[in-house]
Amino acid sequence: MAKAVIVTGAGGVGKTTVAASLAVRAASEGKETLVLTVDPARRLASALGVKLGGRPVRHPEVPRLWGAMIDGAASWITVARRHADPAVADRLVNNEFFEAATVHFPASQSYAAAEEAATYIDSLRWDVVVIDTPPAAGGIEFFTAPARMADLVGGRLLRLLTGGRIPGRNALFNRGARPLLRFADQLLGADLLERVALFLMDLRSTYDGVAKQSKRIEAHFRRAATLVVTTADPAPLAEAARFFEELPEVAAPPVAVIFNRTLPASWAQAEVPARTSAELADNLHRWGAESQRQRDARAGFAARFTAPLCTIPWLAESPTELAGLRSIIDLADGLPRLW
Amino acid sequence: MTRLILVSGKGGVGKSALAASLALAHHRAGARVLAIDVAATGGLAAHLGVASLAFKAQTIKTGLNALAVDRSKALIEYLQVQVGMPGLGTLGPAARFFDALASTAPGVREVVTLGKVVWEVKKKQYDVVVADCPPTGQVTGLLRAPETVSSLVPAGRIRQQAEWMSEILRSPKRSELIVVTLAEELPTIETEETMSMLDESKLIGSTMIVTNRVLGRLRTEAKGVDEVAEAAALHRSLFHSQQEWLERLPPRKKFPYLFGVFTESEIAARLSDLWGE
Repeated sequence: MAKAVIVTGAGGVGKTTVAASLAVRAASEGKETLVLTVDPARRLASALGVKLGGRPVRHPEVPRLWGAMIDGAASWITVARRHADPAVADRLVNNEFFEAATVHFPASQSYAAAEEAATYIDSLRWDVVVIDTPPAAGGIEFFTAPARMADLVGGRLLRLLTGGRIPGRNALFNRGARPLLRFADQLLGADLLERVALFLMDLRSTYDGVAKQSKRIEAHFRRAATLVVTTADPAPLAEAARFFEELPEVAAPPVAVIFNRTLPASWAQAEVPARTSAELADNLHRWGAESQRQRDARAGFAARFTAPLCTIPWLAESPTELAGLRSIIDLADGLPRLW
Repeated sequence: MTRLILVSGKGGVGKSALAASLALAHHRAGARVLAIDVAATGGLAAHLGVASLAFKAQTIKTGLNALAVDRSKALIEYLQVQVGMPGLGTLGPAARFFDALASTAPGVREVVTLGKVVWEVKKKQYDVVVADCPPTGQVTGLLRAPETVSSLVPAGRIRQQAEWMSEILRSPKRSELIVVTLAEELPTIETEETMSMLDESKLIGSTMIVTNRVLGRLRTEAKGVDEVAEAAALHRSLFHSQQEWLERLPPRKKFPYLFGVFTESEIAARLSDLWGE
């Protein structure tokens, strides 16, 4: 079984770039490596040689490196087809609620991505699978998605609608006896609940498959090495802290926190030589204050959590070429062994 | 007439900071302001300098109030507060029933969430309502929700609500969406995609792009290999890269990179001085 490396963190901190760099590094160290990414920047996607929705493809230039881009919406259809009878699967994907459910129930996209990842982890074709978590999931939700998905298709709503039993199509519900349903009808119009229930009954036929997969995905999460990427800004830092607090409940605790866009520590108290122009001196003072702020943020984080703290320097251009991706891991300081 | 200003943008661009700063700026100009956290990340609270926000509006200072709509609790709150369904909070199974329903019936949760915001506009208790919305990836779904509901739900109170919401949201005089972006590749692309979708669908009265964390030009050349030169080199290359993205997607307004400012409320206070008019 492959070693799974999950790269996570708030939006906009450089997760995808870090995931891509790790994959390039693992491949260069002799590991058959697959990087699964969700919606990367176009130039990064082309550097990785991946196309949307495709099967894993071999990188044209880097030996042992494979890439695949996960399309959450499309993989939902795969999930339906994999776990339901063909006729039911047809009804499901053509249902008016299906598309909306995939869009409005973000856990379903994360679930679909995780199920795809689990398949690759188990396939024995790769030594390392690097997973870049979907931005829409917004962090910890990626890890709770399997449980919530099983709950959804397991018919929590359907059980509530029908009073605990899963009925046949003809005996859907006895509305007169249930004031709750009468009230819901007032709110939503008479036949909406019925249509939702029919959809859910079809969806429920995927339950056995989904429940089994959820367990398998959760087992993978517990064995995976999770890296939390952040910057020193308050919002991503708060998100990173959430991972350290909440992840142990659903997966293995993070193996490291990576502070991306780190400025040189030497800028904080740098001496400004005499005869430096006022503009350049001011510039160093501004960036020095920023460097100090970053140092304080890292120290604050280290005081709260014990995992290794790693830094990646601030690069003017986010690397989108292979050479740049390779160099990031060389520049990273404090990264633990992952494979 | 109450103005509604929704603030969105890709994750990590500083939406909550700019939403809070905009509320502060309007408040300073003498308006009665309500700030609403729809993103449910807690970011707005921090930028307004309070620990947390609740569904019931709290006074930050005279004339500036704030509340949070918890998306997972919005439906229950809605049923209790707006429909007046009694005792729902204590009725565990009923609450779970509606929660499960909202997860499945598309658009319902969004209509209820956004409904709270638009309801505050309709009440005319404030001059300006500023809503810190979910990231652009989700905000289009949020704005589309009234239509989704109208197309799936034939009748009922939710549909009626969806109809008056659409009317307010589509009015150019009342409603505006500010999309916050950065002069970088991914935020620029995501903003362009959001804008073209919004232009086509006309879901919101008017839109405006603002770019955050913009660097100023450095005129002097640095010599040598010390920290002065390093800092100048990084600044210059970041500046040039930003210029390309600014040219591609010219914003209505630019906000500067704030160096070394740490707490959220300091950031919001500094930005609030820069909104102008």
